[in-house]
Amino acid sequence: MTSRAALVVAVALVAAACSSDASTETPETVVVTSIVTETVTETVTETVEVEVPATNPFEGTSVTVFGPESGGAEEQAMIAALDLFAAKSGIDVTYLGARDFSDQINAQAAGGNPPDIAVFPQPGKVADFAREGFILPLPAGTEAVMNDNFSDAWTAFGNVDGVQFAIPTKADLKSLVWYQPARFEAGGYTVPETWGELLTLSDQMIADGNTPWCVGIESGPATGWTFTDWVEDLTLRIEGPEYYDQWVDHSIPFNNPEMAAIWQTVLDLWNTPGAVFASSGSIAATPFGANGQPLVDGKCYMHRQASFYSAFLPEGTPAADGTEGAVDVFYFPSVGEDKPVLGAGTLVSAFRDAPEVWAVMEYFASGEYADARQRFQALGKGSAVTEGVLSGFLSPNLNADLSLYTPLEQSFLDILATADVVRFDGSDLMPSDVGAGTFWTEGTSAVNGEKTVQEALDAIEASWP
Amino acid sequence: MGKLLTTVLGVVGAIGVSAVLFIGANKIFDLAPRHWRWFSALIGFLVSGTVFLVLWANDLLLSPLAVTITAVVIGTVGGFVLGNVSNRWWRLGVGVAMGVALGGIAGFYSQNIFGVLPDGTQVIWPARPDLQLGPLAGWTVGGAVLGAAIWQVRSRVKPLYRSVLLWGTLGWAVGAYAISNLSGGTRNEAVLAGVVLGLGFGALVGTRPLADDRERGRVQTESRKYIFLGPAFLFIAVTLIVPTIRTLILSVRDRRGENFLGIENYQKVFSNPNTFDTSGWRLLFTSRLFWMGVIVVVVGLIIARVRGREVGTSMVGSPPSYGAWFVGGLLVSAAVLSVLRGTLFNNLWWVITVTLVSSALGLGIAVLADRAKHEAAAKSIIFLPMAISFVGAGIIWRFMYQARQPTADVPHGGQTGLLNALWVGLGELTQSSTWPKAIAVTLVAVLAVGMALLAVMAFRDGVRGVGWGVVVALIPVLWFLYSLIVGVGGWADGRGQIILFIQNSPFNNLWLMVVLIWTQVGFAMIIFSAAIKAVPAVLIEAAKVDGATESQLFWKVTMPQIMPTIGVVITTLIVLVMKVFDIVKVMTNGNFDTQVIANEMWQRAFTELNFGLGSALAVVLFAAVLPVLVVNVRRMQRAV
Repeated sequence: MTSRAALVVAVALVAAACSSDASTETPETVVVTSIVTETVTETVTETVEVEVPATNPFEGTSVTVFGPESGGAEEQAMIAALDLFAAKSGIDVTYLGARDFSDQINAQAAGGNPPDIAVFPQPGKVADFAREGFILPLPAGTEAVMNDNFSDAWTAFGNVDGVQFAIPTKADLKSLVWYQPARFEAGGYTVPETWGELLTLSDQMIADGNTPWCVGIESGPATGWTFTDWVEDLTLRIEGPEYYDQWVDHSIPFNNPEMAAIWQTVLDLWNTPGAVFASSGSIAATPFGANGQPLVDGKCYMHRQASFYSAFLPEGTPAADGTEGAVDVFYFPSVGEDKPVLGAGTLVSAFRDAPEVWAVMEYFASGEYADARQRFQALGKGSAVTEGVLSGFLSPNLNADLSLYTPLEQSFLDILATADVVRFDGSDLMPSDVGAGTFWTEGTSAVNGEKTVQEALDAIEASWP
Repeated sequence: MGKLLTTVLGVVGAIGVSAVLFIGANKIFDLAPRHWRWFSALIGFLVSGTVFLVLWANDLLLSPLAVTITAVVIGTVGGFVLGNVSNRWWRLGVGVAMGVALGGIAGFYSQNIFGVLPDGTQVIWPARPDLQLGPLAGWTVGGAVLGAAIWQVRSRVKPLYRSVLLWGTLGWAVGAYAISNLSGGTRNEAVLAGVVLGLGFGALVGTRPLADDRERGRVQTESRKYIFLGPAFLFIAVTLIVPTIRTLILSVRDRRGENFLGIENYQKVFSNPNTFDTSGWRLLFTSRLFWMGVIVVVVGLIIARVRGREVGTSMVGSPPSYGAWFVGGLLVSAAVLSVLRGTLFNNLWWVITVTLVSSALGLGIAVLADRAKHEAAAKSIIFLPMAISFVGAGIIWRFMYQARQPTADVPHGGQTGLLNALWVGLGELTQSSTWPKAIAVTLVAVLAVGMALLAVMAFRDGVRGVGWGVVVALIPVLWFLYSLIVGVGGWADGRGQIILFIQNSPFNNLWLMVVLIWTQVGFAMIIFSAAIKAVPAVLIEAAKVDGATESQLFWKVTMPQIMPTIGVVITTLIVLVMKVFDIVKVMTNGNFDTQVIANEMWQRAFTELNFGLGSALAVVLFAAVLPVLVVNVRRMQRAV
């Protein structure tokens, strides 16, 4: 695949100038956003037209949004979706993304210089910040808008001690394994249905001289989170949701024997000779995002990663359309009868109490945002050129337009909405000392072999605030 | 644009205000010799004005404008009278009356303020102390006793009663304001506290005799040093002293700095195996590195003994011994610090290795480059990495160390990092090729023969130092030749074998240190080079006339001359290395057993928002740096 896509977002500032003329009663229609997807062979331009109201209460106001989505299609789609709203509302919305968001937001909030709105990847962080008094509870109007758009299961993640502080904006389905059906077929492998079958398949691939797993846990300051996802998924499968909830809220100690056994299961699987392809030589050194290419190249056959991983696949990779290079996913097999699902997502919270900030928050809560973000992100991944391209974005919004998603993505949303047991990413729910701290670092130590499982677990337990 | 303008205006305004204050202060003290009464009035005005403005600014006063104006009038008039009257009883009366009036007003018009924080909790900003008789009397008497003791120590120069009065009053202030419940008192208690405080300070002012001409002149001249030091001191106070004190306070409090914890944070630092782990000490005795180091040190001792026998004493240090001790010491420290793990030991390892290696290499290069051809060019190249930021250096070296999963049928197994490409390439060369391997073996063999010839020639000509140097350098070359023949490098079973420089603990720390050494050798070299050039030529000439060899010139003439510089470079490097942060942050972020104090502090304070623990780590680092800084400053003062 040699297509290379570039996403260009251009906002015509003429829109604001036209709309500020109060004497014009009739709303004008102006082109505010155009998206260009360039490939080697063709150029596709997408324009979006919005109606601009003649009078504007938000004229001259500005709102800053800070989030972890940085670089690539995710950030550009976020900016494009916000630009769309900016042109409509007259609010000057600026988005800034940073890979080390969780460190930076701490420094900004503690230093008294926070953004107006932050996109939190972790409900645990939202709870920490709410209790510190950094973020503001939603006003009744905004909360009502949110409740119109989301189910209680999703709004609950932004609820801290009975007060609503955050709005869900994005959903991820984590219990997925990415693979290439064509290669499975060529190797004579079948998609495993149970945990036992998965282990057998893994051994079979090693015996055939193939590498079953792509694993990489490097992620800058967040190195280790991929490992925590494996642990959480297996905890749900081996010990069940009840244990999972107790483990997350620390009503059982972190260093209990069951947890040690789960860690050992993950490490045994990874440390089997020939089981893992790590492009940078070791699991701890390989960026989690660097596994897309080897998966497509067939250097490894399976990659357990969330639905958003399609954003890290080589651009233009088709999904589940039966073509040669297409990738697909299968459900990360369960140990028992039930099929638990691990989910995650991002939430937005406000730091400043102003009408324009709440207007942007309400936009984040709307189906309109979900649709705009999905359209732009899919375009950024090259959907204008190749059919069935995954955007990497999913919205839990009830009013989102499902027709914008590929059938595969629709099935993700369906699983999230209907699975019997859905649990939010545990490390994201834990206090950030652990969930964005020792769980990552000690997990990395255990994976890299500096510590035994028990030493790492004891250290995490000792760090629980 | 608006922000820029405000910033510019702010800076210009601040400079203007500073200039006015500076000139104003000088002018005020110029008043002292000729217009003492006006000077005295002005001081009264300023002191009373400052005190009441501070009270006002903290919302501690009822009807603040009227109270402040009254207080300033009292202060000014009191100052003016004290600048005129010379009768000591009158002076005492005026001083006491002024102090009592000011203290009484402040107490009478004090208010307890109730406020509501944004989250709805009610708070009281305190102003009226709840006086507790026992502690109050204790502090006052204790202060007075301390005053008497100080008077004794100060060899009884000034009158006893002044010292007792001053310290007794300060004791009262502590007892009344610092240790009591500041929001629980009544107006009467506030008045009492203020009156006694004013009485004490007023009496102190009143018992000073009227200044004579000599005293007035002294005030004018003595004031200058404070005025000139003032701005610098203020700057240091704001940027250094206040943050230091605040860090100390935060380090004994909880994670948000709200409740007092005592030494709990420090206990955490020393009980957490991630920061302080001595459990592996037994491994030291099975460590090959340790025994290698010990052997090298012993070899140095033996050489010293042999040399000592030659001149008839027990032991004599000489360049070979120094070299052996230096290398052995580094090996032993690496062995010790690779078994004692944790952030604190890691930092120590950094300090020892980077400081010693950078200074030694810097000194060596400075000496070798001195008076050589193209000296400037050579030194410029060594100095160049100094210009790269630590973050940049960390990123560059991460590429150097980068490893890729080795793939077959790609040159060097597809390695993109330089070191792994060399390593895998070397393995490929020595293990899976014939002709290229033969050529490489021949080249190295020629090199070894050449070095051997050089050594022979050196011994024949009687240049023993060069001879032994070449022999020592020949050892690794021969080893390399042997390895080439039997096969070395990252290659096995037809595949590349990579080295995970950054991930393999504990020696990944050394690879990280290489980055800092790389940038700091240039620094050490430049300073040493300047020092060597500053060695008086007459000394060198005299030594040459006496028949000294180059080696003797260096060890007996140059070294003693540049000793102070070596001290400065080492202390400067120690302080720099102790604070190492960027390289670790960029290359590993403290993962893989490479954590250092500065990064640990940053993570505790800003990633986890645990300011208590973060501050405790900062204090540990500060305490470790402090003695080195003191030595460094002392040394510099002596040099001046």
